[in-house]
Amino acid sequence: MYRLALNMLFGDRAKLAMLLCGLAFSALLMAQQSSVFFGIMSWTYTPMVNIRAQVWVSDPMVEQVNDAKPLRDTDLGRVRSVDGVAWAAPLHTSFVQARMQDGNFKLITLVGIDADTFAGAPAVLTQGRIEDLRLPDTVIVDEWGASLMGRMTVGPDGKPRNTPLKVGDTFEINDIQARIVGICKVKRAFTGGPFVYTTYDRAKGYTLGARRTLSFMLVEPQKGVTPTELCDRIERDTGLKAWTSDTVIWSWGERSLARNTFWWFWTNTGIPFSFGTAVLLGLFVGIAISGQTFYSFVLENLKYFAAIKAMGAGMGVIARMLFVQAFTAGLIGFGLGAGMAQGIGRVMIEKGMPPFVMYPQILWATFVLVLGISFVSAIIGIIKVSRVDAASVFRG
Amino acid sequence: MSRLAHTVAVRASGVDMFFGTPDNQVVALKQADFEARRGELIMLVGPSGCGKTTLLSVIAGTLTPQAGTVEVFGQRLDGLGQEELTAFRRKNLGFVFQSFNLIPTLTVAENVMIPLLIQGRPYDEAHDRAAAIIEKVGLKGREEGRPNALSGGQQQRVAIARALVHEPPLLICDEPTSALDKDTGGHIMQLVRDLSRSPERCVVVVTHDHRIFRFADRIAEMEDGRISRVVDDPKLLDTTHL
Ligand SMILES: Nc1ncnc2c1ncn2[C@@H]1O[C@H](COP(=O)(O)OP(=O)(O)OP(=O)(O)O)[C@@H](O)[C@H]1O
Ligand SMILES: [Mg+2]
Repeated sequence: MYRLALNMLFGDRAKLAMLLCGLAFSALLMAQQSSVFFGIMSWTYTPMVNIRAQVWVSDPMVEQVNDAKPLRDTDLGRVRSVDGVAWAAPLHTSFVQARMQDGNFKLITLVGIDADTFAGAPAVLTQGRIEDLRLPDTVIVDEWGASLMGRMTVGPDGKPRNTPLKVGDTFEINDIQARIVGICKVKRAFTGGPFVYTTYDRAKGYTLGARRTLSFMLVEPQKGVTPTELCDRIERDTGLKAWTSDTVIWSWGERSLARNTFWWFWTNTGIPFSFGTAVLLGLFVGIAISGQTFYSFVLENLKYFAAIKAMGAGMGVIARMLFVQAFTAGLIGFGLGAGMAQGIGRVMIEKGMPPFVMYPQILWATFVLVLGISFVSAIIGIIKVSRVDAASVFRG
Repeated sequence: MSRLAHTVAVRASGVDMFFGTPDNQVVALKQADFEARRGELIMLVGPSGCGKTTLLSVIAGTLTPQAGTVEVFGQRLDGLGQEELTAFRRKNLGFVFQSFNLIPTLTVAENVMIPLLIQGRPYDEAHDRAAAIIEKVGLKGREEGRPNALSGGQQQRVAIARALVHEPPLLICDEPTSALDKDTGGHIMQLVRDLSRSPERCVVVVTHDHRIFRFADRIAEMEDGRISRVVDDPKLLDTTHL
């Protein structure tokens, strides 16, 4: 009978297509909405992705990575002397105004990295070399930032055209010249504009010698020391706060700075709420659509199931037939939807807009939801068929 | 006729069947007695609403009467649970409905296979047996087509094939010809008669259609929820009110 159940399902191409479209669309909606949601949320801990270091050390009052409370330069020495530290490098981050050639001001995120180790340097440079940062007045700008800071001109066709900054271009930060020697590729952030990398010492200059410029310290553990162990030691010996750099926001690792940042935004800002409602809406619409398409499928077949029941099929057989149909459609629908979500996601990741992070958990959750919907629809169908009295088949 | 042909296949006695609430009650069957024998084709006729379909449902075990007993091939249906009734139908009954009730998303062969598959027969065996009986109802070559591609008469042929594919001892037909024109109806009844003829089988046909009365061995006339009389010759019936 299962083969018949499947043939019943596949027999009507038009209806099947509708059913699968409904399911696929809702799976797509659920997966893609949540992926964009987590993508946007992932922007909150962008520095953790761009600046690669095993252990981060901050002021004890720091709660998340975007809110640096400056440390004393002497703290660097204290951290370096903790047992298990291979090396520790200073990191500066701040928002400053940059004055472009045409006189416009742009808010930028200034990142100062240690000129000796280049700890925290961007992973991918599309132009130039990181070592060029050792030359005077030099900076490296990220690709997206370079176009943000670019110059609007009128092209030969009369249309406005943006010319991104390129290697050799200059601008000013607090009246000090910054010359671009490289372009890097980094992940975009929730806060702040273009990323401008320079050396830690020059960052001090750009910020007019603000008294404290040490935002974070990037620390590498010695061989055989785990980041978590090292964090414990640093906190015990220095009273500073130490964080691990893993970006698995699901983990319960209390020490992950990314995770703490994520949840800080979750609890302290309206961002999760506003985007969360979109996700919920997606879920709701998804559930409604697939539930509805299934339900109409069941209703349309109700009289045939009643006939099958009259001919002597027990409710057990009918229940299994409905489950086979519901789960088959659910599986195919999920596959199509998840596939589309992944395809769209790939395009989005390539373009970087909107941000897209499809955790396997999202796919699993979508899978469970779609199958849950299938399950509930099958149950509703079973209840309906069990209620319909077999004698009704004699009526016209 | 042999002795076997006269043994009782179906016996309903003193059957009461009401529908609705106590203060708004519809009496469908009132002290109905009915008997059908093995080897015969018996027709159940009577005005609309007199309880024919209800009596058929009671015999088929799809309705449980409030009073009276129903015995089919010696098996009392009262006292059987839902599961047992289902198993009883699976084994003993073939159905032909007025509205065919063929599943449009399945092929002709698959529709015919259903009773066998419900009995747990393997798909391939069921398919072979279905193909054989489809040939007998004159639809060879249409096995893999869809029922909707067939005419009404052809669809009812498929339904007959489905009703008989598992060789049930009791065949129940409710108004099998009323959705068909006169000639087609005649052919369908001829087919029912030819295919179902067996000394073991009992065929009960509910009908309004006096043009097919001639196919009956006996005719039971119903009136107000009970059998008023049973005749051997249709000519004895007053058909004006049918
Ligand atoms: N499920 C039901 N609920 C309420 N009343 C019913 C139900 N089934 C039948 N009845 C009523 O019982 C009576 C007998 O109905 P039944 O269908 O058995 O008549 P019938 O002889 O088959 O009529 P027809 O020739 O029109 O098919 C009718 O008055 C009908 O309205
Ligand atoms: Mg009727």
